[in-house]
Amino acid sequence: MTATDAALAMAAATPPATKVPWRRALVRTLLYGRNVDRAAKTRARLGLAIVVFALGYALIAGRLIMFAAVPEGHMGRRTMAQDAVATARPDILDRSGEILATDVRAPSLFAEPNRIIDIDEATELLSAVLPDLDAVELRERLGSKRHFVWLKRDITPKQRAEIYRLGLPGIGFLPENKRVYPNGAEVSHLIGHVNIDNQGIAGIEKWLDGSGLADLHLAGLATDRLQEPVNLAVDLRVQHALRDELMKARDKYKAKAAAGVIVAVRTGEIVSMVSVPDYDPNNPREALDPNRINRLTTGVYEMGSTFKALTLAMALDSGKINLNSTFDARVPLHFGKFEIHDAHPEGRFLTLSEVFTYSSNIGAARVALAMGVDQHKAFLKKLGQLDRLRTELPESAEPLVPRHWGELNTITIAFGHGLSVAPLQAVMGICALMNGGYLIPPTFLRRSEQQAQAIATRVIKPETSDKMRYLMRLNAEKGTARQADVPGYYVGGKTGTSEKVVGGRYSKDRVLNSFTAVLPADDPRYLLLIMLDEPQPLPETHGFRTSGWNAVPTGGAVIARVAPLLGIQPRFDLPPADQLILATSTASSR
Amino acid sequence: MIRLLNICVIVALVVAAVDVYRIKFESTRKAEQVARLRLDIRREHDGVAELRAQWSKLDNPIRIQELAQRHLSLRIIDSRQFDQLDRLPQRPPDLPPGSPDQIGNMLESRDAPTASILSPRNPR
Repeated sequence: MTATDAALAMAAATPPATKVPWRRALVRTLLYGRNVDRAAKTRARLGLAIVVFALGYALIAGRLIMFAAVPEGHMGRRTMAQDAVATARPDILDRSGEILATDVRAPSLFAEPNRIIDIDEATELLSAVLPDLDAVELRERLGSKRHFVWLKRDITPKQRAEIYRLGLPGIGFLPENKRVYPNGAEVSHLIGHVNIDNQGIAGIEKWLDGSGLADLHLAGLATDRLQEPVNLAVDLRVQHALRDELMKARDKYKAKAAAGVIVAVRTGEIVSMVSVPDYDPNNPREALDPNRINRLTTGVYEMGSTFKALTLAMALDSGKINLNSTFDARVPLHFGKFEIHDAHPEGRFLTLSEVFTYSSNIGAARVALAMGVDQHKAFLKKLGQLDRLRTELPESAEPLVPRHWGELNTITIAFGHGLSVAPLQAVMGICALMNGGYLIPPTFLRRSEQQAQAIATRVIKPETSDKMRYLMRLNAEKGTARQADVPGYYVGGKTGTSEKVVGGRYSKDRVLNSFTAVLPADDPRYLLLIMLDEPQPLPETHGFRTSGWNAVPTGGAVIARVAPLLGIQPRFDLPPADQLILATSTASSR
Repeated sequence: MIRLLNICVIVALVVAAVDVYRIKFESTRKAEQVARLRLDIRREHDGVAELRAQWSKLDNPIRIQELAQRHLSLRIIDSRQFDQLDRLPQRPPDLPPGSPDQIGNMLESRDAPTASILSPRNPR
C-alpha cells in the first residue's frame, strides 16, 4: 500500500521527461504514448483489478450459496447408473394390484480378457463352478482381445460367492435387473416378454418400450425402480378361471386350440384374454412355436353365425325391418351355382327373431340382401370390421376383406363366411350392439366410463341395442345357447359354427366354434367370447361338433366361475326377455 | 490499535479455519452415511421386490387351485349360494353363557335320519 503510494507520489512529482535519458523516454513514448498521465492510468488499473477480483469472489460465493441452497440433484444417481446394465422396467400389475411382471436383481459374470493372467487356470476354475458353461467357448472368450466380455448373465448368489472366492483377476460381477413373471403362462399373450437386455419384444412389454420407456433407457434414467407401476385392466383371478376352463375344454373336446376374451361392455377394458396353447414368458423360446400364437389378435377367422348379430342389427337399425318381419326360408337359397342351406331347416317363413334363434343362414342372407350390398359394407365398415384393429398389443392382423364385394359376398358374410376378422374385432362390434350403440375400441389399460364415452362413436340407435339384447337373451331362453344360461345371471348368447377352408373347400369336419355371451342381458356389463378350434365330436355330444355342444357348455362353465369374481349379483325370478328387455325398451323410446 | 485489530483478525481466522474444517469433516461423514443409507435402501428395495415376486409366485392361482384340489373338498361356488343381506333371517337372541342350547337339544331329541339331512352333505 505504502509502496504504491510512494510510487504514485514520485510519478506525480517527476517533472515531464527533462531528466529522463532520451532512450528511456523513447521507449516510454512507444509503450504508453505521448502525454499520458501514468498516475491516473495506474489508479484505473488498480480499480479494474479490484473489480475483477471482487466479481470473481462474488461468483464463488454465489456458487457456494447455490450448492448449499439447492438439494443435490443427479449427483447421487450417476453413481448408481453403472451397476445396473439391464435397465429397470416398471412393474406390471393387474386391476387389483397383483404382480404380473416385476424386476429382480441378479448378478451377471463378466471378464476383462486383457487383465487375465492364466487363461487355462481361469477356464478350469470357472467351468468347475458353472458346469453348464461350454469350456471351449469360455476359453475362446477369455482369450479374445476385447476389454469386456459377458461370461454368463444371471447367476445365483451362491455361484457368485464361489467365483468370488476363486480370486481370479479380471473376473467381475455386475448386478443386473432381471424380468420375472411370477404367474408364468397365465397372462403370457397379454403381457408378452423381454429379451436378455430387458427390452420388451412382445405384448404389453413392447408397448411399454414404445411409449417412452426406451427413451428413458437411452437417457440412462431408467435404472432405479422408482418408476410408476403400470396397472392393466386384466384381472388375474378371472384370467385364471377362464384359462382353466379353456384348458379343460381343449382337453375334453380334443380341440387344436381354445381362446377366450372377456370385455367390460361399457368401457372396452379387456378383463381377461386367453389363447391356449400359450407359453411361459419366463421361457420366451416357447413363443416361437406358431401353434402358440395369440388367436384373438394375430389370427383372423370367419366368425360364422356370430356375424348374424351384425346383419340383424343393421336391418333393425335401418327401421325398414322389425322383429316380426318374415323371411322366406322354405327352400335353400340359390345364387348362381351356389346354394345356401340351413343347418336345421325349418322349411317355412321365419320371423327375424326366429332367424336369430334358429340361426338360419337363408334368413340372414335374405335380410342382408334386403338391405343391399352397399349398406351392408358401409355398416360393417362403421363397426370397424373391415379395418385393422389396433390395441396396445403390437401384434395385430388385418381382416381379410373380399376385393370385389358382390351380392354373393353379402350373402355369405351375412352369416359369417367370406370375411375373416380378428376375434377381438368381432367382440368390439358386438359390444357396440350390446352397450346402447357405442363403438369403443378395446384396451388393455384401465379406463373409466367417462374416458370411454369421450372416445366412443355412436353406431346404432339405443332401441336397436335393446332389441339385439332381447334377441341374445331369447337365444339363451329358447335357442342354441340354452346350455350357457347359468341361473341368476340372465345370460344372453349367440353361437357360431364356421367351417374352415381346407384346400379351397369348406370342410364339414374341421370347424371353428365360437360362443358370444353377454351378462346380464338386461343391463350388460361384460361380454364373453369363447372360441374352440377344431373340436372333435364326443359320445356325450351325440356325435355333434357344432358350437352348442362344446363352446356353449364351456361358456356356461366360465360364466358360473367368473361372474362372482366380476361382482355380478345373481338375481332370480326375473321375467323372460320379451317382458324385461323389450317391454321396457318400447316404453322408454315412446 | 492496529496490532489489537490484527490479533483479532488472526484469532478470527484461526477460529474460522477450525470451524470450516469441522464442517467439512462433518459433511464428509454425513455424505458417507447418506451413501451407506442409500445403499441399504436399495438393498431393502431389491429384497422387497424379490419377496413380492416370491409371494405372488406362491399366490399364483394355478398353485392355489392345485393345493385346494388336493387338500380341500371345496367346490366351485353356485350362484344360488349368494343372497342379499336384507333377506337374511333375524339374528337369534343372545343367550347368556351356560344356558341350555335349545336348538341343539331339539336336534338331539330327533331321530338320526332327520339329523343327517341337516348335516353337511356329501363330503368328497
